[in-house]
Amino acid sequence: MSGAGGTIEALTRNWGVDYPLVLALAVLAVLPLLAGVFARRGLPALELVPADPLSRAVALVLRLAGAVAVLALVLGLAGLHRREQGIEREGTGAHLVLLLDRSSSMDNSFADRAPTGDQESKSAAARRLLAEFVGRRPHDRMAVAAFSTSPMPVLPLTDHHEVVEAAIDAIDRPGLAFTDVGRGLALAFSTFAGDTDETSRAVLLVSDGAALVDRRVQEALRDAATRTPVHLYWLFLRSRGAKSIFEVPPPGEDTPQANPERHLHLFLQTLGVPYRAFEATSPQAVADAIAEIDRQETRPIRYVERIPRRDFARPAFAVAGAALALLMAAKLAERRLSPAGHAPAGHGANRAGETATPPAQRRAA
Amino acid sequence: MKDTLNDTVTDARGGAARGAGGNAGAEWQPIAYRLRWRPEGILPGAHPGHGEGAEGQFRRHVPLLRQPDPRRIDLRVSLRDPFGELHVRQFAPRRTVPVAALVDLSGSMRFGGAVAGRVADLCALVALSAVRAGDSFALFGADARLREEVTLPLARRRGLEEEVRERLLTARPGGTGTEGLMDAAARLPGRRGLVFLISDFLMPPVALERLLDALWRHDVVPVILRDGGVEERLPRWGLIELGDLETGRARLVVMRPGLRARWIEAAAARRRALAALFARRGLRPVELGDALDADALAQRLMEG
Repeated sequence: MSGAGGTIEALTRNWGVDYPLVLALAVLAVLPLLAGVFARRGLPALELVPADPLSRAVALVLRLAGAVAVLALVLGLAGLHRREQGIEREGTGAHLVLLLDRSSSMDNSFADRAPTGDQESKSAAARRLLAEFVGRRPHDRMAVAAFSTSPMPVLPLTDHHEVVEAAIDAIDRPGLAFTDVGRGLALAFSTFAGDTDETSRAVLLVSDGAALVDRRVQEALRDAATRTPVHLYWLFLRSRGAKSIFEVPPPGEDTPQANPERHLHLFLQTLGVPYRAFEATSPQAVADAIAEIDRQETRPIRYVERIPRRDFARPAFAVAGAALALLMAAKLAERRLSPAGHAPAGHGANRAGETATPPAQRRAA
Repeated sequence: MKDTLNDTVTDARGGAARGAGGNAGAEWQPIAYRLRWRPEGILPGAHPGHGEGAEGQFRRHVPLLRQPDPRRIDLRVSLRDPFGELHVRQFAPRRTVPVAALVDLSGSMRFGGAVAGRVADLCALVALSAVRAGDSFALFGADARLREEVTLPLARRRGLEEEVRERLLTARPGGTGTEGLMDAAARLPGRRGLVFLISDFLMPPVALERLLDALWRHDVVPVILRDGGVEERLPRWGLIELGDLETGRARLVVMRPGLRARWIEAAAARRRALAALFARRGLRPVELGDALDADALAQRLMEG
């Protein structure tokens, strides 16, 4: 009994129907087991028929086909579907959030002007390199977020890389005005909020500049960093002429307003999470940086993939159709016995007194 | 088509068609039958009987002293006798014989309307022949019990064949088993008679042996009913759902040439076993095929 209950519980956890009342019609499935599709032909004794396993098998299959047809029709009418569910998968790699800067400065080349001729804009370079990066890491689950004036969640964590690639393809669209790194990072951290397993998580911030991070946002970031341990990588696409984030400026000039990138760097160092910054001044440097990240982030991960609800009404109707086609074929293959003294349409077990016309009289008529 | 038994209206089908075979009763000519044994009894009839008769079938010459009947002295034989003894012709008396038809009315006889068709034809023909020969005829129909509505006691009245046909046309074969034939055997007359045992003989051999034991006194002619519908006219391919006419059980059969061959072979084997069973008892069965073959029956009955 408990086994049956467990089975039912397991079934209803993954499977459901839209109209449960229709399932009551499933009792009709016993009808094909009680009555076949054939007209019964009388025979003096069944002992006349030699034993034949094939016939038994065919009879069984046809009976079951009738029952299956009824059941499948009922399930199709009831709207059978598999509920949305999570499948646990194994992979190696990391949970990676690509946090992309979409400010308008990304549309410039590394020389910080509008790209001309064979020059590549920063966003195009980032797009090309990130696409390669994603292509090299098939087992990662990636999320994509962008930030500009405000953060934009683009993709949740997913392992469907074609979507990720499409999202990366879109980052060289013309950008917007400002750069709000802090809230972008908060968004990136919040992506991991539902993530509970022990995979390595990484945030890859691709940006070419920074702005001041608000105090309150700083606090929130510290909170998020302590809650969700992540690896933080900053790929700083440094334009020519921009100050490096590593060089210590002379005292007096070391203010956040004058040197926001350096101060973002300092702030990120204080978050208490593993953090590396790469300065990339050319496409080649960006490639090196990405290769470095590639080396770092290889740990086995286990994750749960959400699979959306899937309707099974159509397959159910297909099954019913196939079963009915089988029955139809069997019915069309039906033959009758031709006992003596009977019109060809005669039935084996007819009424006595029902008479048949002999050929001679049929001709006469 | 309704049965046209009491139908005096001639229809377009050719009118006076009676019975399932569509054979008009007048079409059948009575057939002669001979016995290999001498019936007892006292009624004058058509068969050479026991004892000494005054006329009829010549049997032998006996001395006048053994049979003092001077009217039957055979002069030529007496003159040829070197001892000069007088010889008298001796004849077999002509006696009647009771003829009975025991019809199996179990469910299996429903197949192909056999009882209303060729069995009715056969019984009517035998009844007609018996009545014309001066013999009496009785009909017994039985399944698990004796069926009184398909039973006619011994009679020799004219038109008996029509009564027999009518009884068999209205008979509804059904039920299982042939135990009633034992009762019929008990109701047969005490003297030896000619008994037609009409059945498809699908009963268990033990039951058949018991029935034949009960009929030990009589000259039994087993009439084996066979139907081409379950032998040579079987379809080669296709699906048939078969229902046992007696037990009602059903089975689906996938017909194909191999199975058909096995089926026909099994039927032939069953017929051989049946023939062996009858041969052990010295009975020579008659086969009743899809239609009554009166000529073959007449030949078989004339052989005695």
